[in-house]
Amino acid sequence: MLSWSGTEQGIEIDLTTVQAATGGVAVSFAKQLVDFATAATEFNLTALAKSRDQLISVAGVATTIDTAAVIANFEMMTRLADSTGARMETEVVANRLIVAQAMGVDKVVSRR
Amino acid sequence: MRISLSDVRQDLVLAHEQAWSALSEPGTWWSGAQRRELAQTALLAVIEIEPLPPWVAVSAVEGKISASTVASSSAHDAVYRIARHASTLTKEWYERVTQEIDPLAFVELCGIVCTVATVVAFRRALDLELPELAAAKTGEPSHHKPDNIVDATLNWVPVVAPADEIAAVVQAFTAVPQTNRVIWAMADAQYIPDKEMVDPHWTRGTLTRVQMELVATRVSQQRECFY
Repeated sequence: MLSWSGTEQGIEIDLTTVQAATGGVAVSFAKQLVDFATAATEFNLTALAKSRDQLISVAGVATTIDTAAVIANFEMMTRLADSTGARMETEVVANRLIVAQAMGVDKVVSRR
Repeated sequence: MRISLSDVRQDLVLAHEQAWSALSEPGTWWSGAQRRELAQTALLAVIEIEPLPPWVAVSAVEGKISASTVASSSAHDAVYRIARHASTLTKEWYERVTQEIDPLAFVELCGIVCTVATVVAFRRALDLELPELAAAKTGEPSHHKPDNIVDATLNWVPVVAPADEIAAVVQAFTAVPQTNRVIWAMADAQYIPDKEMVDPHWTRGTLTRVQMELVATRVSQQRECFY
């Protein structure tokens, strides 16, 4: 979805920047978004407060709230997918393998 | 700068409030008391700084959950595992669990975990206080079972027919319509309304679609979710 939405908007996404949590330069506030998402999924409250403040300062309160909402949604969807054994069809997995390798998730247990 | 609940969009507040209230109400296969108790275990799992490892059952550790629960210990164990270690789940685990818990009750149980995980994640990200669980409401589970439930290829859990014609995550909870409605109402408010999903330019005026997908990708990667 990230690659697709980027392509549709004429933005080339380097997925290794997501893995490295550095964000990309082609997407506005990418680093602040990735830092906030990273901190929100870990248990370092200091890093979370810092990344939240940084995102508010560059993008504003409404955008920060909507970012938290997307984070929350994928805390839900990842559990939904993994607990119900959701998987993609074989051809889709094959097509997406390059993306998965770029992000370093091709060897995770949840690949099925 | 501190964000308060009054800054949050009303549609999002409402979706969370409805889902959170439902945790203490009778569901389709679990009573209000059972649902509330399972939600408490999910809450424990997602907020513990030092979680139990995936191979340790929460019911086997003294003091983690009440010694006399109204839901079975296997249900509590499954809830804790899904809430904190979802990426470690395997089909063998699912088959073992559903020897003790009916597959449709299992679907509802997953919905309880999803609700707790998403509301807690949102509140924690914005440093908002976690809501209290309401007192359990009395009443019987509805036992509503759609007529056309079938096995799926793209999910372990049974789904409403026809199977595998929509994405696996979209069909995953269809066999328990009450759970399905609550979860997708939250997804609409948190992420993208279902009817807008195909539009790469859709936005609420804050995040662009590509920014949303960047955040979604990072969270999925952090949770090691291959899907």
